[in-house]
Amino acid sequence: MMQLLTDYFVALQGWLFDTLVQPLLFAFGLASYVEMGFDGVEFVLLGSIELAIAYALMRPLEALWPAEQWKQRQAVRVDVLYTLLNRLGLVPLTVFALLAPIFMELESWLRFNNIIPRQLEDWLPGLDYHPLVSFLIYLVILDFAEYWRHRLSHTFGWWWALHGIHHSQRQMSFWTDSRNHLVDDLIAGLWFACLSLFIGVPPGHFIGLLIALRLVENLSHTNTRLTFGGIGDYLLVGPRYHRWHHALELPADPRFRYGCNFAILFPVWDILFDTLYLKEYLPPTGIHEGSAEEVAARDNFWAQQKLGLVLLWKALSSRKKQSPSG
Amino acid sequence: MKLPHLIGLLASAFLSMSAHAETAIVLNSVDENISFVDTKTYKETGKAPACKEPHHLMATPDDSSVIVACAISNELVFFDPKTGKEQKRIKNISDPYQLGFSPDNKWFVANSLRLDRVDLYKAADFSLVARVPAAKTPSHMAFDKASQFVFITLQDSNEILAIDLKTQQPLWKLPVGPTPAGIHMTPDDKYLLVGIMGADYVEVIDWRARKTVKKIVTAKAAHNFLARGDGRHVFVSNRTVNGSISLVDMQTLTEVEKYDVPGGPDDMEIRADGKELWATARFGRKVQVIDLEQKKVSRSIPVGRSPHGVSFINHAARQ
Ligand SMILES: [Zn+2]
Ligand SMILES: [Zn+2]
Repeated sequence: MMQLLTDYFVALQGWLFDTLVQPLLFAFGLASYVEMGFDGVEFVLLGSIELAIAYALMRPLEALWPAEQWKQRQAVRVDVLYTLLNRLGLVPLTVFALLAPIFMELESWLRFNNIIPRQLEDWLPGLDYHPLVSFLIYLVILDFAEYWRHRLSHTFGWWWALHGIHHSQRQMSFWTDSRNHLVDDLIAGLWFACLSLFIGVPPGHFIGLLIALRLVENLSHTNTRLTFGGIGDYLLVGPRYHRWHHALELPADPRFRYGCNFAILFPVWDILFDTLYLKEYLPPTGIHEGSAEEVAARDNFWAQQKLGLVLLWKALSSRKKQSPSG
Repeated sequence: MKLPHLIGLLASAFLSMSAHAETAIVLNSVDENISFVDTKTYKETGKAPACKEPHHLMATPDDSSVIVACAISNELVFFDPKTGKEQKRIKNISDPYQLGFSPDNKWFVANSLRLDRVDLYKAADFSLVARVPAAKTPSHMAFDKASQFVFITLQDSNEILAIDLKTQQPLWKLPVGPTPAGIHMTPDDKYLLVGIMGADYVEVIDWRARKTVKKIVTAKAAHNFLARGDGRHVFVSNRTVNGSISLVDMQTLTEVEKYDVPGGPDDMEIRADGKELWATARFGRKVQVIDLEQKKVSRSIPVGRSPHGVSFINHAARQ
């Protein structure tokens, strides 16, 4: 059975590669990207599968057991676009194409100077024989780094100018996970690439786990009353937990002035760094926009991309004026 | 649908690894592990973890080890080809992609495809002697008989680079067809054969005269070479989804046979009796076994993702 499914998958991957990708690569003299192209087709297919699972599991939750009832779903559309751009590979490919040359150059320079960056497995050699354990340790470290990236994107004004786009959705659904300003996506890629330079990258072959993690991130944005229970909500980030992160009204306590519940997968970081806030009821989501343009940009992809850049520029230039001491 | 895949992987960790002299080792580069395949029953008997982004696999010249090159984890992993047990890991081998030993066994060469560089190591203890810049994307390699030079295909600049092993300096570059991949020295030490992946032929180079003397048309995406072991013929894999393998006569410099081999045939291995050719189907998650008497694929063995490299002890001579 499994072999049969794999055969179908491989046949489809081969067909797509043969009819679409390879002819293009050869036509443009990019034959050395053939292997990458083949893996890219797999990435797109797996992204589609993940999306199909997310839709099959989470759309019924939203329909049957919603956190809030909406009169219309117009506002969701732009998030669907973000999701397709992301899961079908366009955004990841662009980020990779922009960053890979820089980091390759950097790594190349390091090697020529006899510096081989150490990896987690060099500190803990036993991990070589236990790729799954290695993967899980990387996961915890990367999630820790993601907590801080996310928290800082709420703390710095210039970064919030971009990340605010993710929060401007008032009809949050499982599609909202990928709603990010493209420059924010680029920074996230940069963050990950820098980190990889210091600890290496996790074993890449645990596709099942990677899909499961993606699903958790989709689920945490789902418009549903589902919770993981009194204890579960403190173990894994779920819909109730992340809804509080997206709450329109921030909790009054000054320690939440930049927000709460920054964790992506494991709430433990919010517990450790005192940024956790969780109540029984489910708050409305969104942000209080400062201008009519911002309100107008809520549902429009290009308006959001432009707005992010304008706000980023404003934040950077006003910072220079306000704090000459730096 | 990929979750069971993971479960399968975990389960295989508990399978007994019944490798023996009749076992083939197959490297699954995307699954980051190796498969053991029984060459008598044509069944996968187990798997073992390898490392991060393993790309190539090669037997040492004395067949005492099979080496897996780990591009991302910067190491070489040695497996015992008889038992399948790991023998050792050599760390701090920077980004190895394709490997090779010089015929005099003095040099071990590792190409870094990603970082545009060729590393020259002492084969005796794998200590680094020199790093040679080699833009762009050094891919495969071949040596001359006297072990004076190593020739490297530069995939993205469409050239062959010759490095003098005595001085460890680049000597010359020669332009060839688009995206050169595999490279093979003819047994008379006269010609270099280069698989032109961006086109459909093998380019024949008189390396002493530094010029192309012939183009042998095989099929689209001519990629890699393996000597048949009779001192005269060489197999060429044409790596497309509906791919093929050509047999080239190195004396007449012509294609003499061709077999349909679906799934993107890449690396190859041949049985000592010359009756069977094994090829990893890079795009098909399979090892294809070609019956050389029937001249067609006789078996397809499912292995892991992106199989890149196959090796067994009972192979024919390497020329
Ligand atoms: Zn946020
Ligand atoms: Zn969110």
